[in-house]
Amino acid sequence: MSTIALTVYVLIWPAVVAVVLYVIGRAFFTEWLEARREGRDII
Amino acid sequence: MNVPAEVQFGVLTVVVILVLFYGITFLISTRIGKKQENADGYMTAGNNIGFGISAASMTATWIWASSMYASATSGYTYGISGPIHYGLWGALMILFIYPFGRRIRAVAPKAHTLAEVMYARHGRSSQLMLAGSNVVGSVISLMSNFIAGGALISLLSPFSFFQGVLAVAGGVLLYTLWSGFRASVLTDFVQVVAMLGAVVVIVPAIFFAADFPAAFESGAATLTPQQGTFFSSDAFLNQGAPYIAAVLAYAIGNQTIAQRLFAVREDLIKKTFATATFGYGAMVIGVGMLGVLALYLGIDPAGGDVNNLVPQMAATYLPPALLVLFFVMIIGALSSTADSDLSALSSIVMTDGYGQAVGKENASPRTMLLIGRITMIVATAAAVAFASLQLSILDLLVFVGALWGALVFPVIASFYWNRVTNKAFTISVVAALAVFLPVRFSLVPLEGAVGIVVDVLSVIGIGVVLGLMVFGFFGARAGTLVGAVAALAAAPFAIGTLHEYTTLSASLVAYSVSTIVCTLISMRNTDLFDFSVIKRRVGDFDPAEADDLAPAHS
Repeated sequence: MSTIALTVYVLIWPAVVAVVLYVIGRAFFTEWLEARREGRDII
Repeated sequence: MNVPAEVQFGVLTVVVILVLFYGITFLISTRIGKKQENADGYMTAGNNIGFGISAASMTATWIWASSMYASATSGYTYGISGPIHYGLWGALMILFIYPFGRRIRAVAPKAHTLAEVMYARHGRSSQLMLAGSNVVGSVISLMSNFIAGGALISLLSPFSFFQGVLAVAGGVLLYTLWSGFRASVLTDFVQVVAMLGAVVVIVPAIFFAADFPAAFESGAATLTPQQGTFFSSDAFLNQGAPYIAAVLAYAIGNQTIAQRLFAVREDLIKKTFATATFGYGAMVIGVGMLGVLALYLGIDPAGGDVNNLVPQMAATYLPPALLVLFFVMIIGALSSTADSDLSALSSIVMTDGYGQAVGKENASPRTMLLIGRITMIVATAAAVAFASLQLSILDLLVFVGALWGALVFPVIASFYWNRVTNKAFTISVVAALAVFLPVRFSLVPLEGAVGIVVDVLSVIGIGVVLGLMVFGFFGARAGTLVGAVAALAAAPFAIGTLHEYTTLSASLVAYSVSTIVCTLISMRNTDLFDFSVIKRRVGDFDPAEADDLAPAHS
């Protein structure tokens, strides 16, 4: 593998992690706000 | 290679980090604490938690300290494809269980443990086999996470290994004890944010601090041809293949997954488990890349122990502020898994121990909660005691994972096929273990005809594993077709050689023997089971459920 390919191969995983973190975080806060509006615990 | 000196924390720094981490986690858990907790909520949080919190919880639970260390070890040992052969198959364990999870939820929507459903389907012996394997897995996992905590604290601070173990065990018990699974799931979100956020920063930081990408060129000579190729047969046969064989076994044998299958809102199972697959895979493979970087740098693991590679890379290349973040990442990973193990163990004892002993109608929710909390304390004490023995965790897990292979077909078939009986389940599992153990430990010489028999059974095992994976998504016809084609395709390469890989062939033999025996006995049964019975037999223990746990959506 070339140096560029290896660099992409190593650094793409933290990028995917960042996307997952955004998806989970956004969903959690949406649910949290909804629970708060309804006056109950999120869980 | 000129490697910078490693950083260490002082006593005060470590105490402040641990007090802040466990203090904040405890405060979060008190936000949802109730003076009188609900017994069902303590185990499954009312069966209706949302996507964000359940995806975070599944991700955090499946990521543990050992998975990060093992992924890096795989990268260091097998080269650039190593982390893939650890993290990808570990991630698929989450993905491949969800179709079965949807079926299990359909037949037992209010269940607390998989073993409880097995009792309703078959009876006591099947339940005890599954519950027993779940308990063994969770105790090993709990012990492993305490060991990882003790090792990390002793490596990065003046504290001893045992002091580190006690700090982690006490911290996890503190925030999990009162609210059980609800506390575990809620705190998982905070822990997953800390873990995933840390990886996003730490991996690139080490990459550039260690003089990559230039070091790829200067270090290329240190790699063998197998380590330098993405398609390494060494990595596949020694790391990947045994893990593919374990994909369904770990998922079936682990109560922490089953608990989340029963807890998440039923229509969100697919979305939750698919997201957790990406979260786990990317995180574990990403951290595993630190092992690949260490290989290129020609670094020798401290004390010759490859488990030290990840902390060593962090302590060598990260500035103190990012090293604190790394410390929190590992503590978060092991705590989120340890609290899930405590919740899993308490659920099994509450449901499969007390609940079944007195009967669902006679079970007292208060007594049940007390038993759950006592279980957590006893399990923590036992895991601390075992942790001081410092056993080889990965060896134990590979062994237990292969043992779980004996359960996979009988458990899955029990949810779909109305001919499977308690007798078929029990005899098939015992028969599989009776063949697995001699093969795994080479108690009989695997030569000549015996070797060929093991190879043939292993080839059938390959068909069973791949067939079941396809069956979950596409049904019986596709599963049978893929299983048959896979076995026929593998036969020319496997027969005559596969028995030399004892870990892999023993695991495959466990699958094939349990499948063959369970199928043969079940086919003779004419008394067909009515699956709607399970829904009537399995339900809430606590009548206050409706008042205590409001629905998560209107």
